[in-house]
Amino acid sequence: MFAEENGLHGDPRIKAISDAIRVVPHFPKPGIMFQDITTLLLDQKAFKYTVDIFVDRYKEKKISVVAGVEARGFIFGPPIALAIGAKFVPLRKPRKLPGEVISEAYVLEYGTDCLEMHVGAVQAGESVLIVDDLVATGGTLSAAIRLLGKELEVHCSSSSTIILDQINNIYIFEHVFLERVGADVVECACVIGLPQVKGNWTLNGVPLYVLVEPRLNDLGHFGDGGFV
Amino acid sequence: MMNTLRYLSSGIFVISPKLLTSSLPTSVKPSSISALARGETAGRRFYSTIAAVRTDLKVKCFSNMAAPDHKKNVDVKDDRISRISSSIRVIPDFPKPGIMFQDITTLLLDPVAFKDSIDLFIERYKGKDISVVAGVEARGFIFGPPIALAIGAKFVPMRKPNKLPGAVISEEYSLEYGTDIMEMHVGAVQAGERVLVIDDLIATGGTLVAAIKLLERVGASIVECACVIELPDLKGRDRLGDKPLFVLVSST
Repeated sequence: MFAEENGLHGDPRIKAISDAIRVVPHFPKPGIMFQDITTLLLDQKAFKYTVDIFVDRYKEKKISVVAGVEARGFIFGPPIALAIGAKFVPLRKPRKLPGEVISEAYVLEYGTDCLEMHVGAVQAGESVLIVDDLVATGGTLSAAIRLLGKELEVHCSSSSTIILDQINNIYIFEHVFLERVGADVVECACVIGLPQVKGNWTLNGVPLYVLVEPRLNDLGHFGDGGFV
Repeated sequence: MMNTLRYLSSGIFVISPKLLTSSLPTSVKPSSISALARGETAGRRFYSTIAAVRTDLKVKCFSNMAAPDHKKNVDVKDDRISRISSSIRVIPDFPKPGIMFQDITTLLLDPVAFKDSIDLFIERYKGKDISVVAGVEARGFIFGPPIALAIGAKFVPMRKPNKLPGAVISEEYSLEYGTDIMEMHVGAVQAGERVLVIDDLIATGGTLVAAIKLLERVGASIVECACVIELPDLKGRDRLGDKPLFVLVSST
């Protein structure tokens, strides 16, 4: 749903945020009207409005994790997390996070990409807010939801431990690893979203909360430039 | 049946089946545990929560800091620094053998430590007439914006090539093997603006030097570079020349 449908109709902050976003035609390829939030970040008032609106919405919702999608989700997620007292968890492109990770692949227009999260960053049952700058097809956010929200699955690794107790019972312990987290994704929050997310539109069962629509001129269609 | 925890030589907790039953994930079949308890052996396997415990411990190790006692003469800033420092995780041999990677993601999992780190920067830079906080992709994007918002500055992302749309200026810089490029938007920073440059860590200083060069090319004035962590052995501070460096934690 859009902020305007949910209590913020006529709020001048929404227009200020929309006006502060720059449209760059034909980036990263011809036909795409890129919604550039860097100009929003140059407008201290509008950037603060953006964070304030999200914080007001989420501060009473007992959210313990804000997950931000690399890289522009890293700009909006942490200020929200800090204000509501939640952990911040970065969701990253492959091979950026050190140590043990879990991953989720998703489909791009050409080919596939992959999103990773640290094992142990989020516990089963935690309430999670996912943040990104823009939702277009929802491919990236769907992958994030799948990464966070699937039920806990437990798999064997190749090693095991065998214990023999005093009365000769043999216990075989398989060393396992968590493959999915089983967290509860409460909502996805984006600054910009396509008009289709109006009303009760959900992604993988998760509601979306969006501040503004993309702006475009007559020549092209809008896009998000993918996972950048 | 074993009733006690036992450490194996590998350091992994072994949990008795009795303890396991109450905390097993739902996908494990309870029947296999009772079969073992009855003494059936080979061929019967059940899943332990060893990894779950180990992972849990991994995270808890870094966030399980006792709250400081309220001694009146304790330096509050020292308590914050020690909590921040303890929350940072070191991963050996990442991204390659021999490198001890300073992982700040565990700092971000401790809301108190994360807020403390931002507060320490805000306390230092508020009221210093800084109009730009420039953050280096990608971990500089995590620390820079909260500081910018609090001190009333613009946030300017310094990015890898081909990420920023529209007109950019670029600076090439050296890596250990090869080079990389950093870009900044034309028009983001005006001549004469006072700038704070932020990244999570300074190692050799190559990245920060590239950011400084881009900003100076448009006539900005660098007030300071700020990082959570410094690796002093790599002498990044020297490479910054006359530009001051402020860090929260120094890691040797």
